[in-house]
Amino acid sequence: MWTSGRIAHILLLCSPIFALSAERFDETLSINTLQDGKVSSKFTFTTLLKGASPRNPKTLDEEDESQLYTVFPLGLGQILREYAVTELHLSLNTGRWNYDRWGYPEETGVGTGAELWAWMGDGAIRTVDERWKGLRNALAGLFCTSLGSMDDLRTTSPEKTFVPEGSLPNWDAPHQIRHASLPSENVCTENLTPFLKLLPCKSLSGIATLLNPHKLFDADWHGMSVHVLWRGDEGVEVRLTFQSVSDPLRSAVTRKQDWSFESLFGRTIDRPCPVAETSEVSVTLPINAMYTIQPEPARVENNLAKFDVKEISEPLLVRMIWPRPFSYPQTYHSEATPFSVRRTLKGSSQAWGQLSLVIENHRPTSMRAMYLETMPWLLQFHLHTLQARIDGVLQDKIISNVQYMPSVPHSRPTTLQAILTLPPDTSVHITMDVTKAFLRYTEFQPDAQRGWDLPPAIITPLEDHDNYTIPSYSEKRMYTANLLVEQATPDFSMPYNVIIFTCSLIAFIFGSIFNILTRNFVLVKVD
Amino acid sequence: MEQERPPSKWKNILDKLRNLGQISPDKTRRTILRRRYYVALISRRLTLIEIILFLIGYLWLLVLPLPRLGQRTYMDENALQPAQVNTYWNWDDVHAADNYLDHVERLRDNNITSAKRAEWLQTELGKHGISASTQNYTFSTSFGIVNGTNTYAILASPRHSGTEAIVISASWISRIGEGNGTVNVRGVSTVLALAGFLKRYSHWGKDIVFVLSDGYLEGMQAWLSSYHGTSQSGLKVDPLELTSGVIWTALNIDYSGHSFSHLGIFFEALNGRLPNQDLMNSADTIARYTAGVPVILYDHLDPEEEPAAYEAPWWLPKAIHDIKEVRSYLYQAKNVARHIGYQYNGRGSGVHGLFRQFRIDAITLYGIPAMGPHGFHAIGRTVESTLRTMNNLLERLHASFFFYLQTGPRQFLKIGLYLPSAILISVALMFRGLGTWVNAGWISANHNSKDGALSKESTWRSRKRPITGTLSVMIAMHAFGAALFALVSSSWFISNIETLAPIAFLTAFVLPLFALVIPSTKSEDVAPMHMILKTANLCLTSTVISIITLMNFSLAAVLAVVLGIPLVISSPSSKMSVRIAKYSAYALLALGWLLFAQQEIVKSVWSWQVLLVWFAPFVCIVYVPLVLQAGIVCLLQP
Amino acid sequence: MSSKPQPPSSSPPPNNNFAVAFCALAAARTWLSLTGFSSLLDHNQLVSSPLTAFSNLKEGIFLFNHDIDPYSGGSFRQSPLLLSLFTTILPSSSKPLASLLWTLNDVVGAYTLVQIWRSRQNVTSSRRDTLVAAAYLLNPYLFLPSLALSTSSFENTLMLSAILFACKRKPSQTVFTLSVLVQLSLTSIIMVLPAMLLLITDPHSHLASPQPIQTSLRKLWPLFGEFSLYTIVLILISTVIAGSWTWIPQTWGATLMLPDLTPNTGMWWYFFTEMFDHFRPFFLMVFSVHLLIYVAPVCLKFQYDPLYAAYILLGILGIFKPYPTLSDPGLFVSMIALFPETYQYMRHPIVTLLLHLHAALLMPLFYDLWVVQGAGNANFFYASTLVFACANGAAIVDALWSGLRVAIGETPEGYVVVQE
Repeated sequence: MWTSGRIAHILLLCSPIFALSAERFDETLSINTLQDGKVSSKFTFTTLLKGASPRNPKTLDEEDESQLYTVFPLGLGQILREYAVTELHLSLNTGRWNYDRWGYPEETGVGTGAELWAWMGDGAIRTVDERWKGLRNALAGLFCTSLGSMDDLRTTSPEKTFVPEGSLPNWDAPHQIRHASLPSENVCTENLTPFLKLLPCKSLSGIATLLNPHKLFDADWHGMSVHVLWRGDEGVEVRLTFQSVSDPLRSAVTRKQDWSFESLFGRTIDRPCPVAETSEVSVTLPINAMYTIQPEPARVENNLAKFDVKEISEPLLVRMIWPRPFSYPQTYHSEATPFSVRRTLKGSSQAWGQLSLVIENHRPTSMRAMYLETMPWLLQFHLHTLQARIDGVLQDKIISNVQYMPSVPHSRPTTLQAILTLPPDTSVHITMDVTKAFLRYTEFQPDAQRGWDLPPAIITPLEDHDNYTIPSYSEKRMYTANLLVEQATPDFSMPYNVIIFTCSLIAFIFGSIFNILTRNFVLVKVD
Repeated sequence: MEQERPPSKWKNILDKLRNLGQISPDKTRRTILRRRYYVALISRRLTLIEIILFLIGYLWLLVLPLPRLGQRTYMDENALQPAQVNTYWNWDDVHAADNYLDHVERLRDNNITSAKRAEWLQTELGKHGISASTQNYTFSTSFGIVNGTNTYAILASPRHSGTEAIVISASWISRIGEGNGTVNVRGVSTVLALAGFLKRYSHWGKDIVFVLSDGYLEGMQAWLSSYHGTSQSGLKVDPLELTSGVIWTALNIDYSGHSFSHLGIFFEALNGRLPNQDLMNSADTIARYTAGVPVILYDHLDPEEEPAAYEAPWWLPKAIHDIKEVRSYLYQAKNVARHIGYQYNGRGSGVHGLFRQFRIDAITLYGIPAMGPHGFHAIGRTVESTLRTMNNLLERLHASFFFYLQTGPRQFLKIGLYLPSAILISVALMFRGLGTWVNAGWISANHNSKDGALSKESTWRSRKRPITGTLSVMIAMHAFGAALFALVSSSWFISNIETLAPIAFLTAFVLPLFALVIPSTKSEDVAPMHMILKTANLCLTSTVISIITLMNFSLAAVLAVVLGIPLVISSPSSKMSVRIAKYSAYALLALGWLLFAQQEIVKSVWSWQVLLVWFAPFVCIVYVPLVLQAGIVCLLQP
Repeated sequence: MSSKPQPPSSSPPPNNNFAVAFCALAAARTWLSLTGFSSLLDHNQLVSSPLTAFSNLKEGIFLFNHDIDPYSGGSFRQSPLLLSLFTTILPSSSKPLASLLWTLNDVVGAYTLVQIWRSRQNVTSSRRDTLVAAAYLLNPYLFLPSLALSTSSFENTLMLSAILFACKRKPSQTVFTLSVLVQLSLTSIIMVLPAMLLLITDPHSHLASPQPIQTSLRKLWPLFGEFSLYTIVLILISTVIAGSWTWIPQTWGATLMLPDLTPNTGMWWYFFTEMFDHFRPFFLMVFSVHLLIYVAPVCLKFQYDPLYAAYILLGILGIFKPYPTLSDPGLFVSMIALFPETYQYMRHPIVTLLLHLHAALLMPLFYDLWVVQGAGNANFFYASTLVFACANGAAIVDALWSGLRVAIGETPEGYVVVQE
């Protein structure tokens, strides 16, 4: 005890040195007014562990080097080392991102619910799947989510769509990806609190002050995400982000889209975070519109008003005021996104349905996109009915390079990858028949009559390089909305009755058959 | 002693076991005789049993509306929590609704084309920032082309994945006179005002879809079928540009009068289906306790609640209808009659009826036209609170009843209380069929009548009962019914129905007369055909009735009443004139609708071609052949 | 022998008359298969089980043609033989062509049934031929699955042709057909013994004169040997086609493990939907073994008329199969036409008929109420399948009773026949 106290003391003493030398922490808040009057804000907290590199799974059986961080989140770091994760992306979102009105999100992963994908090196004593399982459970504990239920029923490895954002060390064994999404996961305060704990200044100072659950979770859309990646030249980077889209017009009696830190977050930034290298608030200024922004921004560069939080003397309260009431546009120009996607599950029967995907290419040029479906076995595809139509006319050139891994009942999900060639300024209708599985009564969820949430499909625009196609980096992947599939339910109160009825009927038929077979006929004289 | 007892004991047990297996001949003889005795007992009293069954069945149908028989409705799904929320709909929103009303009335008076109207509606909805769109549809039926334009908007609920949705709809044509052209002006304005109002709140856990359908029924049918991706012959419809999740519940608003005194609930869906009862109960509770509007079934005022509006039937002496029980019996009888009228022909009672075919529970709230006291304020609050209740729903409505008989706004019968009435009658038919079959199997050695002599088998010889001929006759009759349906549903028949219907009747009347030339079976060892045919006909009818009871109780009850007695008493006779007379009576029963109900024919065929209601094919392919076969039984030679 | 009244269409001269009637029936079926009516049955799970559905077959063919192992997933459970047949020879792409093929298959089945009837009567042509053919071609239990293009129709035809070969004493053909049939559906293995008994005896009706089997049963051993030889060869061929052994758990394993709980007319699906997980293997074993119990007793009892034994066992298969479709009981119902001598001794034919009528109308209705309308719950449909099982059970009891009762013949006045 005496020694431990001493060691702790020493650590405290030398922590600033670490902070200066090995680690770097930056935070930014960017606020942006959207064309339908809503306001999107994004918090980014980046921690860079200089010169560090992910753990080689080969060394899993050896003693790991000691981890000594000051601003780098230790809880996360230990998990990364424990399971030798090279790159990790976790996003917890609530609501549907409206690409047509809000354009691309700054952080790509906006699929409703929880999504987790990780690149891990192979060739260790513990297989990738074992470590994936451990990683799931560890993160579930860290963020108070139910990621633990991302089991084999939901885990796939779509390496084409989820390319690593950082760089992968070239160990002799190849890297593998594991991906799982949990569309029915709800995100709320219990997830935000552990998220804030990972920040060096918690929510006491700096931009993180504004992360106020009461306001954030009243937004139209909100999502938090954790990204860990390795930049070969710099080190391991941890990026914690929180995005939200709030609607100033919802409650406004005067139909004006004014907003301020007070109205959006209910707080102001009182003091900067001491360990932050840079700490900046940037507001995108609307073009050719009348507005006033207060206070006067420190500097304005290419239509971005920037406020430096490190310099503030009095509490920072940014406010934007419009003189005129807001009127909604009749049409929403969506050049921001290359196309708009609409996915539905048609048919009201509980035995079969039709999966329909409508992609409309806004661009005047033909585009190629990667279409990914990762579907639990509850919905079984009939791949031979996969068809693409343009205003009712069958087109066989549109779908190509189909990669398909059929689902296995009660275990493996389906993975369907295909490349779509979308002609300019047309909407393509893609349909496929599906059958809805009939489950055992033990496999249903408590709210069996509601049905199951199905994960979103993912469309990734592709860029044609001279001879091969790679996912484009300028335009990131797009998530469709979730689906709800309704399974026919048995009567949950019946197991004993069913066993009794069926068995007794079988016994009855059996008995009467053998009764006739075994007894012999006689003539009896009556009267 | 000690050492002897065990062996003797064992011996007894073994003997007992041995004797267990074998049955002595006279024992079997006794069992056989006993069985025969009981069989004879039943078959002798068969007619009595049938009469009793018929009586009970018909009486049961009569006592269905008894106030004491039913029970009060109750909420079964605890998640719904009706009338538990504060409503925010206030006079500003009423004012907004009034403004919309002026525009809508202008649209109605300058009778704008539906495309222009839809465009205006879309613009208005878009002004609230809700994504709105329109949809053109075209039905090509035997009645020519029906086309129009629907308007719909989807309010994406904040912080929700949009996998579930609630529909709130108003059709352009009100249900007054089954859609005789009265425009649902206030219903449409209410929906428009609600769109702007509901968007201001963030507590919606499901998307809200506003549908302003064109026409009375056809618009909503087109919208629903394209939303669910079902294709329908003769329907051309634009694909929807906006979609949402699974629709669980829907609320249709029908409010065309200046203002209303009561809210009437209409619930019958197509093809005899009914919405989950919880929906009606919650609407009822909310209207009473949140908006303070009295709720009634259809537009029938309850004499107890509205003694002023109640006038006694002329044929009832005052002394009797002063009795409370009698009044409420008459009131509930009126409700039941109205219900049967809506259900038996499968047409449903309004726009809400179209939803059920896609597993959506829906009802119509109908403002009974009156000079007050209620208006936009009351209906707005009712709808808002009902939407909140639907919004509370965590699973699809499954707890309460799908099979019920509503005798009053808060009074109903469970399935066990009304189903037996029709079942008993079908059982009576089945008994008579089996009895005929048994009789057909025996011929008395001294050839006299076969009645009630089953007890002395000695004088009775069994005979063969060929079924091939009968089967071919029945198959022919049903094929004939199918042909009749093809004719009736063809466009040129519909277009000049007045001239063609009598001709169709004559042909359909004459064709079965071929039965006259069917030779009677010469030998006594073969049962006569009319008995076999009657057996088959009765058994088939009984099966049909008992199975229809679950799909469409009203239809089954009507069938039981219409077919029960006549089919049982069908029998041949020696005199040709009597045979013809009997046959013509049956033919009239089978085909009378061709002469007397031509308007009904048109309606039924229309709802078959546009709404896929199977009443018309059922009548032609099942009902007509059954009755005509009874007629043929009379035609055949004894 | 026949107590059945003659259908009007078969007054002498029989031969060309039968030909005309048969062609008329075939034409009617062809017309029916080409009308749009069949599209109503596309997703109907009463007429095609997961093991026989046409859409699954097409899926398998599609995957096979695109170099994806069709047996790696859970959607395709048909035999590799069918796969190779449809990928190489027959075009399954166009629906009308497929429905023509299925109709043709039914016509062949009907003609086989007529041939069986003739060889049982030991005549070249009889006046009942048309009736027998009609009993097969116009049986709704048979032509609805065939309209829905369920491969169970092929199993029926194979079964009938195996029986016909046995009647005509063609050992190799019989045994080969049987082994192909077992490839398609494992449960058909219970038909092997009666078919072989039929091979070593004769198909004629000995119901009236029961006697212990004359020929020595030693003749069976070479037949069994040949059967297992063919089976092994076919297994190897299938493995070559499928490229691995994975087809065995997917096709045969499915009939034993019941991975797919899609509702059907049988008694397994709801039982194992509601089964507690730790009892599942035990009851799967019990249900599978239960099918085998009947083989020996029925074959012993009817050793003097193996065709009748085969008929009874087909009925039992129709009730207790893991993945039955309507066409399995349908085959039993149609084969009643072969045994007119038993009609007058049936125990309660009208009750059986009415049970069948009710079940046949209730099953689609309750399926619709549960799965499509969502108004009634699963118990409705389950109850209707129980009624259907009762109907089939009653039919089997009728057949057994009358088949044994024939031996007594007409009873003298004042006597009745009972069992003791």
